[in-house]
Amino acid sequence: MEAISEAKTKQGLLFTLGRHLNRESVFKLSLVAPLQLLLWFLLIIPFIIVIYLSFVKWQPVFGSWTEAPWVWFENFQKLFTEIRFLEALGRTLAIVVIAVTLEFIFALGLALLFTRNFFGKRLFTSVILYPMMLPWVVVGFIFYLLFLDHGLVNSILTTIFGATATISWLRHSVPAMSAIILGDVWQWTPFMFLLLYSGLSALPSEPKEAAMTLGATPWQIFRYVTFPSLKPVILIAIIIRALEAFKIFDLVFIMTGGGPGTATETLSIYIYQIGFRFGQLSYAAALAIVILITVSIVTRLAVRPLFEKEG
Amino acid sequence: MRERSSGRVSAQVALPKRRRWLRWGAHWLIVLVVLLFFAMPVVWLLSVSFKPPQEWQAFPPTVIPRGPTLNNYLLLVNPELPKGSASYMLRVTEPVTKSFINSLIIVPIATLISAMVGFLAAYGVSRYRVGGDFMPFFVLTTRMFPPVAFAVPLLVYYQNLRLIDTRLGMIIIYAGFTVAFSLWMMKGFIDAVPRSVEEAAILDGASRWRVLFTITLPLVKGGLAATALFVFILNWTEFLYALIFTSTRSITVPVQLSHYVGAVGRFYGPQAALGVIASIPAVIFGYLIQRHLVTGFSFGLIRK
Repeated sequence: MEAISEAKTKQGLLFTLGRHLNRESVFKLSLVAPLQLLLWFLLIIPFIIVIYLSFVKWQPVFGSWTEAPWVWFENFQKLFTEIRFLEALGRTLAIVVIAVTLEFIFALGLALLFTRNFFGKRLFTSVILYPMMLPWVVVGFIFYLLFLDHGLVNSILTTIFGATATISWLRHSVPAMSAIILGDVWQWTPFMFLLLYSGLSALPSEPKEAAMTLGATPWQIFRYVTFPSLKPVILIAIIIRALEAFKIFDLVFIMTGGGPGTATETLSIYIYQIGFRFGQLSYAAALAIVILITVSIVTRLAVRPLFEKEG
Repeated sequence: MRERSSGRVSAQVALPKRRRWLRWGAHWLIVLVVLLFFAMPVVWLLSVSFKPPQEWQAFPPTVIPRGPTLNNYLLLVNPELPKGSASYMLRVTEPVTKSFINSLIIVPIATLISAMVGFLAAYGVSRYRVGGDFMPFFVLTTRMFPPVAFAVPLLVYYQNLRLIDTRLGMIIIYAGFTVAFSLWMMKGFIDAVPRSVEEAAILDGASRWRVLFTITLPLVKGGLAATALFVFILNWTEFLYALIFTSTRSITVPVQLSHYVGAVGRFYGPQAALGVIASIPAVIFGYLIQRHLVTGFSFGLIRK
């Protein structure tokens, strides 16, 4: 008897709970609650902490971070007079510009090449996709292997031009940067290609044929017909790639570690070294804030319109 | 009619036979060069992974090892293996099994959480516009900034919560920093499902949760699988967070690889072997969702 009534109240409880969960507002809230939880934990609380950290002078060896001395803008002042930071910033931007430009040119050429039908086309398209699936660390290691002093690239150079043509790629700044950029281009050209190729194949063929009938040269067709209608895809591809390339870390870390000296240090590597190798976490926090602000502005200007147009 | 225009349209057909062959040949040559460019680095990685130490940097280089060996792979699992050669004297100090176990625990769990959380939120955004315009874009911020910028404050309070070098800590990070992809990919898939089906079910008296799990979920099952596999690849290959937030107990495969590269110096064979093994799951899953790769990397902006 008791058991039955207990079961009844349990059922009643579940029933009420169920009815509550079913109310529209509760339902909506519980849809996004897990996401909110993650975001608070990984985004909002850290954001508050990073602001706090950037205004104090603190390193893990000093003890508890809650008792660190308040120094106002000292960290930021240090940052803008630090030549190493400015160099790292410049280098990162250089990588972004050079790598993304090369990727775009190669990818566009490839995409145009692949608009023609030829035997084995589908297989080729599939085969060249794999670099973007590889772990970045592995790509870094591969290019490290290739550009070693006795690596494959130097062996090939020796075979063709003789032993004097070899370069200690990873020990000089410009060759090391080129090797890193080549790694990035190798890994991400396929992505760019896939975007442009699917963009190209989605274009209707009528305008092209019309232009042909009117006697336009292939270049004119590309310049005035294909290119303008491909523009949205190109924009998305470039922005996504640029944002990704700006974060570049793994390749550099594995291939050169930022060296020789600081010759290949990118922004991410710089923060890593400062914050996690040398433990100057409050200074690294100031760096992080500068990056957050810069990227937010860029994102606000370039990325949001893309998504809004879509939504 | 109009000789000029017809000449253009059928340019390829009208070319003399020899020129057509030339063109065909040039086209194939370019395609082959491209293929070589993309295949060569990985062929080299595979080749080194099967080479004995004396061939790692030998000149002239050979693609097919002269004395092929499985030692590099075996050493990964059993560092105590008889070395047989002076170059193996620098020994691998730890077997890779630990990092694989860690990766195989952390990555799938984080992926499942990310996909499920993303699915629920995407449903809310797609059907009820929960969080308005702000929330879906706010989620994107997890992907816009260099991860190292998030790592600075996270490290500080992960330390206080004792989450450093734990699998739980990594799972939370991996789930949270891929949820933007899950949300946007799933939003695309859910948007494609007509509302009328759900509305009919609600009119029939089905509860909202029931509709969500018995009607919408089966319809976007394929999309959810693609999303999960995509997120799996991202998490499997992630390096920076793992490097910062793990040290010994819960290192993942990419970190293990970096340890090999950094610590043992000229140890290319086993490093290459580890690189090959680490890439296999990502590549297999990548080809499984080949059609969705572009959608994934562009947050659902571009779909084929």
